[in-house]
Amino acid sequence: MNQNQQPQQTSSSEGRSSADDDSALSDFLSSLTDYTPTIPDELVQHYLAKSGFQCPDVRLTRLVAVATQKFVAEVAGDALQHCKARQASIPKDKRDRQQKDRRLVLTMEDLSKALREYGVNLRHQEYFADNPSTGMDPATRDE
Amino acid sequence: MPLDLINHRDLRNVLLNMSNGNGKTGKQIEQAGPTCRRKKVSGGDEFAQAIAKIAVAQVCESKGFQGFQQSALETMSDVTARYIMSIGKSVNSYANLAGRAECNIFDVIQGLEDMGYAQGFTGASDIDHWLEDSGVIREISQFVNEVEPVMFAHPIPPFPVVKERVLPPSFLQKGEEPPDDHIPAWLPAFPDPETFSQSATVNGRGTEPHATKVENDNSNGDRPLLNSQQQIVSSMFGNTAMNDPAVPKANTVAAESNPFLAAPLKFEDKEVASIAPPAKFFNNTVASDIPILENFVENEPISVLETFAPAIEAIKSTCSDSREDQTKFPVKEKPTVRFKVGTKNKFLGRSIGLIPQNEEHNKTLPWFAMEDEKDDRKRRAEKILRESLENPDQLVQL
Repeated sequence: MNQNQQPQQTSSSEGRSSADDDSALSDFLSSLTDYTPTIPDELVQHYLAKSGFQCPDVRLTRLVAVATQKFVAEVAGDALQHCKARQASIPKDKRDRQQKDRRLVLTMEDLSKALREYGVNLRHQEYFADNPSTGMDPATRDE
Repeated sequence: MPLDLINHRDLRNVLLNMSNGNGKTGKQIEQAGPTCRRKKVSGGDEFAQAIAKIAVAQVCESKGFQGFQQSALETMSDVTARYIMSIGKSVNSYANLAGRAECNIFDVIQGLEDMGYAQGFTGASDIDHWLEDSGVIREISQFVNEVEPVMFAHPIPPFPVVKERVLPPSFLQKGEEPPDDHIPAWLPAFPDPETFSQSATVNGRGTEPHATKVENDNSNGDRPLLNSQQQIVSSMFGNTAMNDPAVPKANTVAAESNPFLAAPLKFEDKEVASIAPPAKFFNNTVASDIPILENFVENEPISVLETFAPAIEAIKSTCSDSREDQTKFPVKEKPTVRFKVGTKNKFLGRSIGLIPQNEEHNKTLPWFAMEDEKDDRKRRAEKILRESLENPDQLVQL
């Protein structure tokens, strides 16, 4: 496992030396040790081991953890956009919306819209008809 | 009720109570419902799934969400777990492609690029590019610089915990000689004979199902309905168990207790109990009639239904009446029951108590009397018919 190994390239980026790239990468990796990802290392190691990933280097695990956190954050951001867009478009009186509707709840609907762009097709139940507030907007449901 | 801001205390209860089995005890009621109903796709992964849920919730919270739907949170954590596993799979395959078992930074970058093709990253379409300045790395470093790190809420022990297995000792470790030449000494030793011999009666749970089954049969000695095979086997088993509790005999006894492996019987070997079902139908006072009936049964191929149908009918119709008059009896007899009784009943000359209660009927109802009664009935019917024809206004209402 030689991190200074370089691929043989002739075409692009001849002006740069490989040492710069290496240093950039190793700088980045060292900066990873300062950054603690929200997704814990043990969890990432567990799932990576389940799929065959074998590496004693913690920095690679951290890299995967950061990449996953970035993925989750992007999906959550998209879902948030959808949620806010839906709240803005509901024709309700301003009084209700400003007082208690500001709470943003992650719903299956927003999540499925957000995940569709990432290639995850999510289908969910439209409603469960076991109580009178079925089919109403989940954020406004009074329970 | 939409699940509010994730209460970290509640989720810690989840983690602490995991050992109680499937995480159902410590969870909130809303969580327990869908978890109970949902089919477990990956059993045994509850701990990791719970941690993933917490982590995903924290990330979403940092993005601005204030509440989560239960199903949405579970879905998102499941997607996250699959994302990690997908990265690991592609990274591993890139390493294997290069002839390595351990993964490299370059394998990881290539794996991340694979994941990023769906969404797209800068420089994805370059056919030759340095991996070090791949677009994914640049995006990740941007992410690291922008976002404040959020610590995971709980300290996590390293998992999964690998339990130390206590291996059974080998022949060498035990100092024993393997019983045969073909068994090497480094193999685990055979278990002690006491664990599987027929002291299984003490705890009721033998190691050999056949042996214990026959043992149970042997202990209930009052069973009259043991078939001949089982009787032989149990007697064999009873003899051998007393004599020889050693290992080889136990094995042979176990083999012998299988009735299908026992030797077939010759005709005179076993005293077969003779069948005496008629005793059930009739009174004890007429038990002496049974040999006659038996002989009759053995000699003539007569169906049991034919033989006993009139008796059964008679008992059904008359056994509630204690004062049944003899003359009334044939009237109550249902005439539809005629299974060629008349031809065969001539062989029986003894009465077989059709009415159990009253003795006075005993001597008066022989088998062959049935025939006479039927003739009587015929005659009476004809007589009534004649009377009705002759005296139409004096009809007897039956």
